[in-house]
Amino acid sequence: MQKIISAIVADIGKVLLGKEHQVKLALACLLARGHLLIEDLPGMGKTTLAHALAQVLGLSYKRVQFTSDMLPADILGVSIFERESGQFRFHEGPVFSQLLLADEINRSSPKTQSALLEAMEERQVSIDGETRPLPEPFFVIATQNPLQQSGTFVLPESQLDRFLMRISLGYPTRDAERALFQGVDPRAQLAQIKPRINGEGLRKLQSLVGQVKASDSLLDYLERLVQHSRQSPECAVGLSPRGALALLHAARAWALIHNRGHLLPEDLQAVLPSVAGHRLQSDGTDGTQLVERMMHQVDIIAA
Amino acid sequence: MSSSVSQLQSLLPRESLLWIFAAQLAVLLPHTMHLPVWLLGAWIIAVYWRLEVFRGRREMPGRMAKLVAVCLVVAGLVLTYRRWFALEPMVALLAVSFTLKNIELVSRRDALLSLMLAYFLAATLFVFEQTIPYAVYGIGCVVIITAALVAQQGRRSARPGRALGVSAKLLAQAVPVMLILFVVIPRLGPLWAVPQNTKAASTGISDSMSPGDFSELSKSDKPALRISFDGAVPPPEQRYWRGLVYTHFDGRRWSEPGAADGYPSWGRGRSNRRAYNGGNGDGSERELPAVGPRYRYQIIQEASHNPWLFALARPHSETRGVRETGDDTLVYRTPVGARLAYEVRSWPRELVGDSEGLSASEQRRNLQLPASGNPRARAWARARFEEGLDAEEISQALLSLYNRSFVYTLKPPALGADTVDEFLFSTRQGFCEHFASSYVFTMRAAGVPARVVAGYQGGEWVEQQEYLLVRQYDAHAWAEIWLPGRGWVRVDPTASVAPERIRDGLQSAAAEEFMQDAFLPLHKIAFVTRLRLQWDMINYRWYQTVVSFNSERQEGLLRRLLGEVSSLRMALFIGTPMLVALLLLLVWLKLSSRGPALPVASRLYLRFCRRMARAGLSRNPGETPGDYARRIEQEQPRLGPMAVRITSAYEKAAYAGDAQAEKQLRRLLRGFWPLRLSAQARASARV
Repeated sequence: MQKIISAIVADIGKVLLGKEHQVKLALACLLARGHLLIEDLPGMGKTTLAHALAQVLGLSYKRVQFTSDMLPADILGVSIFERESGQFRFHEGPVFSQLLLADEINRSSPKTQSALLEAMEERQVSIDGETRPLPEPFFVIATQNPLQQSGTFVLPESQLDRFLMRISLGYPTRDAERALFQGVDPRAQLAQIKPRINGEGLRKLQSLVGQVKASDSLLDYLERLVQHSRQSPECAVGLSPRGALALLHAARAWALIHNRGHLLPEDLQAVLPSVAGHRLQSDGTDGTQLVERMMHQVDIIAA
Repeated sequence: MSSSVSQLQSLLPRESLLWIFAAQLAVLLPHTMHLPVWLLGAWIIAVYWRLEVFRGRREMPGRMAKLVAVCLVVAGLVLTYRRWFALEPMVALLAVSFTLKNIELVSRRDALLSLMLAYFLAATLFVFEQTIPYAVYGIGCVVIITAALVAQQGRRSARPGRALGVSAKLLAQAVPVMLILFVVIPRLGPLWAVPQNTKAASTGISDSMSPGDFSELSKSDKPALRISFDGAVPPPEQRYWRGLVYTHFDGRRWSEPGAADGYPSWGRGRSNRRAYNGGNGDGSERELPAVGPRYRYQIIQEASHNPWLFALARPHSETRGVRETGDDTLVYRTPVGARLAYEVRSWPRELVGDSEGLSASEQRRNLQLPASGNPRARAWARARFEEGLDAEEISQALLSLYNRSFVYTLKPPALGADTVDEFLFSTRQGFCEHFASSYVFTMRAAGVPARVVAGYQGGEWVEQQEYLLVRQYDAHAWAEIWLPGRGWVRVDPTASVAPERIRDGLQSAAAEEFMQDAFLPLHKIAFVTRLRLQWDMINYRWYQTVVSFNSERQEGLLRRLLGEVSSLRMALFIGTPMLVALLLLLVWLKLSSRGPALPVASRLYLRFCRRMARAGLSRNPGETPGDYARRIEQEQPRLGPMAVRITSAYEKAAYAGDAQAEKQLRRLLRGFWPLRLSAQARASARV
């Protein structure tokens, strides 16, 4: 099992150079059955990551470029009257795929955004009074331009909460960039990626996440982190119970990726910035900075 | 506008109003016994008005209405008391202002003010009464007022159970402080004389005696004196507690001129030589032998509103304010308005002797008779005198007359103008006063100086002779005659008629008549009698330990506790318990704030962290064990391998639930002394 995971990470690493941490986070997010929000400038490899992930996991993959004139039906699908059968037939939208890349989600109107986000939460779609389940596994990677960019609709906090993690890729390292310059073609690499795992294997991996042991000492630490986020005067809004559960779940997936049957404080700390960064709020300070500070203030062992 | 808004916000909620009223009622209720009843009415009106304001049916009273209310109650006070500078009008004034505060009870500040006043008013209760029921009631008042204070905090704490609970807890916590303060707070004398309530009816023996007075007293079973002996106890027939000497007879009434005024000019007999007992007792030392048999006892006298005190014959007292008179009695400098305790030593007369003659003025005083009246008694006396009998023989003859044909009764027939004649020669039924009066009259008529002595006789032992309880019905009158060479000699004519009265007390002497008018004949039920004696004993101990705890006893107690009373020891005495209490509190806070105990592995790991910190590399807060181990590897490579092993053992123990790892961690730690290791390394490097 561990071999598969490291192979997956290595495969994606060939396409997305020097971003092992982010790749692992994305994988952990998927294993924890959560959705991923990638926030970065254009051209940093967001699409590449999503594509590579879909390919290496053998998932059906669709991509939607969000625009401001998009309607919910463009994502969910529509019922169209067919003359020859004399009936309405449902045409599935792009949401009916195992891995959906929602590119630049903040460019679409809130209406469309919320249609997608509801589908993400419920893992099913109700159209014309009929409930249709989405494929299993269902994993959304949404990308978002940083909010300073013009012509965007900010995702409200309640909807940010639907994403298990928010990560950003950042500029590549010098070595990675040099490799790019020297002619390594990610697209060609992408085409070569073969699926390392099938749907069955992925489900098994996901169920293994729940079996990672969380000891009392670790839960104490988690509890203190959550309490700190709620009580600290720096945080206007603390971690919700859903946020705390997300943190635990993501940390478990992270521990599994690192081939461990139990959680360590490192696991919590590794996923904390991406899980809590978009959930914490404060006046003026970025959530990520809050998380950094929180990690330094809350001790691993209660003194 | 803004001020009215803020006022609205700070308006008192319903619960807090009700609590204040409850506290006020609790405080005012016992005061109705001393203060005019209309005060309670005024309070009810004020409360009603305030409640109407609360319901929004009425406005807060305006300035005019308040002024009228103040004028009304002040007028009421003036009409009730007609004078200001006494205790009761002052307390009444306080109660009135307390009452009127209700009609301007608006904000939280007013509420606090009213409750603070309530504390004060509750304390004034003890000016009037200091008995156990009042003390218990006072504590109850304080609990209620404190609960009302608690209730001002808001809705949740205004619930009765919670408010009372918090209040009781607070007061219970204050008990140790109260006890310490009770013992150590200096007992200052009153800074100003509290005007005593002189209007209160005096009880017990009065400054004059006319027929019927003592039978009135015999109907009361109220306690008068409580006497505890230190050493020898006089036999029952010697227990004559002398209070007052009557020398003046007007044909019906025996009295003592000047007695009621507190004896400002009593300069007769020995008293002008002895003056006050302020401390130099040289005069009395000359008179009374320093050694020899004497009785030492302490008397606790109930409030009588008269200045005279009670003691066995030839008393001497060192208690401040107590003075001896020429008639071998004791007086207090003011009327006894509250319970009074005084120490007395008495020398029996027959042992002291008094060979001094009677001065001419004393002679005159003790032979005084009205110009006319009671001719038969005078004739009888003259006849005895002409028979050539001396004083003792005349006395014997009179006593045997009593013995032969007289009846001792609590209900003697009424007497006309010549009281002595009628008693001696027709009715021949009487009570102690009749016997004493007729005896002294007759002796005087025979030319023997004689006087009536009033006081109490006997008493009842309480609780294995702990103290002698003397009640009002033990009031007694007897006589003293002057015998040349022997001085004043006590003669009790009652004893020759009803010796059991002297030996066993009134109850056995007048069995059927005793306490006949009592509403319930409780004295006939032995159990109830015992219960009442028990209750009296509790009261006595209460008074002994709490109420009469004055500066002398305070000093005595402190001396017993501390050995000597110095400021250092006092500071230690007060400071040590406080320090101990604070330390206990500190320890408790520390223990209770620690939360659940850490698991063993974490404690072991923290020990590792401390040792590393001493070696100069401490773990940052929030640094995970793994990161720390890596940092150690980097910065102190020699300790690295060990740190990594310890860390991995810790991780296994704490996070993987591996019981073996905990033992391993312990073992590893036992050998891990970074300082020693680095010292060895340095030593080996030097070699």
